Amino acid sequence: MDLSYQEKSILGSLLAVTVVYGLYFAGVLRDMGRPDFDGASFPLGRLVGAVVAIVIIEIVYHIILAVESKPEPRDERDILISGKAYRNAYFALATGAFLVMTGVVLSLRPFLTANLVLLFMVVAELVKFLTQLFYYRRGF
Amino acid sequence: MGNIRNNIRKLRFNRSEMTQQELAEKVGVTRQTVIAIEGDKYSPSLEVAFRIARAFGVPLEEVFQYEAASNGSGRA
Repeated sequence: MDLSYQEKSILGSLLAVTVVYGLYFAGVLRDMGRPDFDGASFPLGRLVGAVVAIVIIEIVYHIILAVESKPEPRDERDILISGKAYRNAYFALATGAFLVMTGVVLSLRPFLTANLVLLFMVVAELVKFLTQLFYYRRGF
Repeated sequence: MGNIRNNIRKLRFNRSEMTQQELAEKVGVTRQTVIAIEGDKYSPSLEVAFRIARAFGVPLEEVFQYEAASNGSGRA
């Protein structure tokens, strides 16, 4: 499959976010399954670790990508596709925000509230990447 | 993409088989964008359309044609 520089960049970011936050949320589910789980504390260290891991993976991946394929500056089509992707991501995030607000009204515990907010932020990011890949493949 | 057609493939062929990359560099867009425009999958902005016409040294109408929809648009 002939992928452009932008597509390779997005695909790398998509995989990094999926893997790193996949591991993060697997840890969250493990915490919730523990008998001593109280739902009050937040795994800040794990979150910081995930963010640092994403940053490092993105930097290393984009250095390798820049060496292997010539970086192309964004043009008007890239910007338009990006705009559509952010619009879809906004709807995903807004939906998530509404659901979390509903959860807070129903006395959701801090651990779940914070992780649900994070989950919907990650989902919005994934929606953005997938929308971009969709329009690059389908044509726009 | 809509009713806009183009002759970019033919114009490239008539310019000693100018590559999509060469055209992209002349116009200031990516090769992927040239591919999308050439395949009628993306209608460029007016500015890019003029830059494409200028790259071939022809009027805009020689590069892009607008085919009116058959549902009566353009009627008085």
